[in-house]
Amino acid sequence: MSCHRIRTVIRRHAYVLWRAPHRWFDIAFWPLMDVILFGSLGTFIAQQSNESETAVPYLLAGIMLFHVLFQSQIAVATGFMEETWSRNLLNVLTTPVTEVEYVAGTAIFGLAKVLLALTTLSLTAFGFFRFDLGAVGWSLIPIALILTIVGWGVGIANIGIVLRFGQGAEILIWGSNFILMAFSGVFNPVEALPGVLQPIARVLPSTHAFSALRDVLAGQPLDGGSIAAGLAGALVFLVGGTAFSVAMLRTFRHRGYVTRFS
Amino acid sequence: MLEARSLRKRFKDVEAVRDIDITVAPGERVGLLGPNGAGKTTTLLMLLGAITPDHGEITIGGHALPRHRSRAMEVVGFAAGYLPLPDRLKVSEALGVFAGWYGVRDHRSAVRQALERFEITHLADRLCSELSSGQRTLVGIVKATLHDPALLVLDEPTASLDPDVALRVRSGLLTFCATSGAALLVTSHDMREVEMLTERVIFVARGEVVANDTPAAVAALYGHVDLEQVFLSLAAEHGRDER
Repeated sequence: MSCHRIRTVIRRHAYVLWRAPHRWFDIAFWPLMDVILFGSLGTFIAQQSNESETAVPYLLAGIMLFHVLFQSQIAVATGFMEETWSRNLLNVLTTPVTEVEYVAGTAIFGLAKVLLALTTLSLTAFGFFRFDLGAVGWSLIPIALILTIVGWGVGIANIGIVLRFGQGAEILIWGSNFILMAFSGVFNPVEALPGVLQPIARVLPSTHAFSALRDVLAGQPLDGGSIAAGLAGALVFLVGGTAFSVAMLRTFRHRGYVTRFS
Repeated sequence: MLEARSLRKRFKDVEAVRDIDITVAPGERVGLLGPNGAGKTTTLLMLLGAITPDHGEITIGGHALPRHRSRAMEVVGFAAGYLPLPDRLKVSEALGVFAGWYGVRDHRSAVRQALERFEITHLADRLCSELSSGQRTLVGIVKATLHDPALLVLDEPTASLDPDVALRVRSGLLTFCATSGAALLVTSHDMREVEMLTERVIFVARGEVVANDTPAAVAALYGHVDLEQVFLSLAAEHGRDER
């Protein structure tokens, strides 16, 4: 593995971010809209009852941490898609850069996008609603780590789906975020989901991360069991997503699908 | 430099490549020719590791594919006339990225030298998306020479170029091969270009090699005076088979 080539992947995507104003929507505009939406919703709920005054921190902390998963996922998946959108995939495949180096570069670049998005979220959440995510403390780190790894795993799996089924499948890159948001209990405990859907939620590592987040927000200590289960599940997602993508890449090369993208 | 043995590839009902052997010696310039659908591009993509052959072995610079694809690609420069470059990047940035992927440490210097070689330094600050098709093709060829590869693989390199620009590209390629000692494997439908660029041609039809010799010897084999006539007769025969 070459660090030089990984750094070059990062440089390639930094150029794209710099030159593509619509990409700033992901790290500036959508986070701002999410803070306004969920902050206002929480404020309204809190106005209905004194017992609901925790609604703002629950909703804002949930959406802020969900952006960690979201940004990690789309940085990896759209990093690859950038090569298909610009019909550059064959050019990349005929250089020495390996699949692992390419994905590592997009994942590392994704961390920068996470930090930029969290900056937007933190500033606007504090500015509009006086909510400070930093008050959660060091517990944020293992929770964010789980969500980052889940995002990488899902992003890598999405690359595999596009390799196998073509560019039409890229809708899943965006759709998978909504699926994870609905099933991970971002704003609510798993018990609030319809009973038939709860088993799905319980196997998602992101569910454990958001459950641990709510515990901390409620003033309880960080639940080590939730973190351990979340981390183990996240690693399963990462390994499973990678294995799936490797198999899809093998099919892609075997069936000559590269001509679809060039 | 390049050795491919018994390559075969089938896509569903179509046998794209039946049994092809290709060798390119260090410094040798070889043309891979044939009518549309003959299996040239599939063969090239297998040689580059982008498509996995059903059967056969490929070695580039002593590195076997697919296991050592990355090491093999370090010594290969590839360009195709039909391939765009990454949009949103300036030419110098896009070339710098490819130089980095090829392992070039001082990418700025490599890009400057490669642009000078083909006399297009004035394009350095242009966005790739703003280039004309001819300029894009030129930059693609510059991309392929950034890392002084031991083997240049070019697919229809001058297909979209004006005759004067195409001539400049051919001269640039010949100079590059002569000074660097790089081998060349090129596909083209322009037989005059092939006669100018290559020392040996491999004619492919229906997924098989039907001739493999110097341009003059191949023309003589088919009883023609030049490669253009050989190509036309093979294309006509291939078209008859397709019907």
